[in-house]
Amino acid sequence: MRFLTKINRNYLVPMLTVLFILSGAGYFVLRVISNYGARERLLSTEYLVGRQIRERGTVPSLYPLIEVRQTENEPEIVPSFKKVTIRNEIEGENEEFLEYTSKVNISGSWYLLKIRQSTIENEDLVLILAFTLLLLLAAALTISYFSTHRLNRTVWSGFEKNLHAIEEYSLRINQEISLQKTGIEEFEKLNAIIAGFTEKIRSDYTMLKEFTENASHEIQTPLSVALLNLEEILQEDINEEVFKKVVIAINSLKRLTALNQNLILLTRIENRQFETVAEININRMIHSKKEELSLLIEAKGLEFIVHEQGDFNVRMNEFLAEILIGNLLSNAVTHNIPKGSINILIRQDFLRICNTGESHSLTNDNIFNRFVSSRPKSSGIGLAIVRQICDTHHLDVEYTKGDLHCFILKPKR
Amino acid sequence: MKILIVEDEVELLVAISNYLTKETYICELAENYAKAEDKLASYEYDIILLDITLPDGNGLTLIDRIRRLQKNAAIIIISAKNSLDDRILGLDQGADDYITKPFYLSELNSRIKAVLRRRQFDGTHLVTFNEITIDTESRSVTVKGNTLIVTKKEYDLLLYFLINRNRVLTKEAIAEHLWEDNIGSADSFDFIYTHLNNLRRKIRMAGGADYVKTLYGMGYKFSGQ
Repeated sequence: MRFLTKINRNYLVPMLTVLFILSGAGYFVLRVISNYGARERLLSTEYLVGRQIRERGTVPSLYPLIEVRQTENEPEIVPSFKKVTIRNEIEGENEEFLEYTSKVNISGSWYLLKIRQSTIENEDLVLILAFTLLLLLAAALTISYFSTHRLNRTVWSGFEKNLHAIEEYSLRINQEISLQKTGIEEFEKLNAIIAGFTEKIRSDYTMLKEFTENASHEIQTPLSVALLNLEEILQEDINEEVFKKVVIAINSLKRLTALNQNLILLTRIENRQFETVAEININRMIHSKKEELSLLIEAKGLEFIVHEQGDFNVRMNEFLAEILIGNLLSNAVTHNIPKGSINILIRQDFLRICNTGESHSLTNDNIFNRFVSSRPKSSGIGLAIVRQICDTHHLDVEYTKGDLHCFILKPKR
Repeated sequence: MKILIVEDEVELLVAISNYLTKETYICELAENYAKAEDKLASYEYDIILLDITLPDGNGLTLIDRIRRLQKNAAIIIISAKNSLDDRILGLDQGADDYITKPFYLSELNSRIKAVLRRRQFDGTHLVTFNEITIDTESRSVTVKGNTLIVTKKEYDLLLYFLINRNRVLTKEAIAEHLWEDNIGSADSFDFIYTHLNNLRRKIRMAGGADYVKTLYGMGYKFSGQ
């Protein structure tokens, strides 16, 4: 529900209710007042009738308004008001009257008085009241409807534009968010908060980016120093035991280097810092990566089969595409058995890489997690990078195992 | 050969310069942008090893200055940044090659030699060791005057050995030189044996001596002694 609709509903509903109740009450009060006035008039007519009989000795009669009858005895009635219906001979229809019945004793004679007054004028009054009420309600609703529209166009337009600006805002553009001035205190306050907020996020984002770059520099420099010095120790006249220890130290440091580079890469992908995209043909990528890995494939004596039933094209960063396919393929090679096989199927929007390999407990749910690996020597970061690349490029990657270990790559539905 | 090394990490600077001095280069050191600028203004260099990330300036802008002041100097960028953009930017600005930290000193040596050969500073494109000669222009190998038919990998391997003669090289360093990044996922580097043994056999058949020493199954040394 839009803000204004909500306000209107919250405002109009009680207002209409109060209006209804007040008009209802007004109607009843008016009825009581007019009733009271009618009775007063009937009583005053009774007095005038009595006075005319007493002073002039004539008995007035004006049917159906005034009806006087002389009686021999005192009429057995108590003066009272009641409603009666009398047929109007001229108009030929029944009319409602308020009737006052009383008795007077003038010079020893008893008279029975019936004085009436039409109630039609009262009914008319009520009708006018109801009509006015209806007009009032209709006017209130119409005004509210048009003012909502006007407010939407004027007061709220700035707010809506700013909402749109926030929706469209991207950290990667590295610009301050531009919000329109609305001239309304509350909205200006909101704008100030949002501007401050995005500025904070932007500076954090920039810091994170810089951290990634600095971390690479800071970690790799000491690694370089250690490696260069170890390499120089190897050149000295050392015995076999020391030689082997130094080589192991060098190789461990090299693994640490690779791990560090991969973690930095992972962060850079997460931060979407690879923006240049091109149309990448996965078929071509598979062939070029196969060439690069041919040495390892031959060394393990693997059978490498590629079935191409169509072209798989993706819009993505070329460097990331190389890493994506490279990691999947080298995964299929590394976790393979000697004299095993790698089967690749490429169709339109579909890639499946299957390889023979030893069974392990990893599943689709955890094989892509960081630092998860079936073998102690691998860091378990290659497939985490694969999934990170897929997540940022509308791709789906899935792992299944049966006789063969298979990875399926396709666009996200 | 005179080399200027621009690197803000002093320990790295010293390690590189010690090694290059042993390799008979004359090394000058600069640990920041300002010092590098000073040196470039007063002396001529054959090679400049340049770290991009310096505390007081961007190494990339220094390339411009070098190209204006010393047209003939070869530039090799050293950087921890493994970003593709920096590499392309550096090469676009006129750097000759690019090496990322951490690297093997033998790899650095091989890059320096390659750059020098390309710029013909040695006045020759021949690399010789006793009876073995490599012509880097025609990419051919001769042993005692007989042309050796070698594969691309065998050629690269032999050149690497000749450039880094008398130096202990681990299997990993050799693998990284020949196959670059694609080798990271290998379980073992035993496949180097195949290429090395083929090469040794070919040299022997052509009447050459076997100069390759195996060190405890973990490394090799190409040496005449």
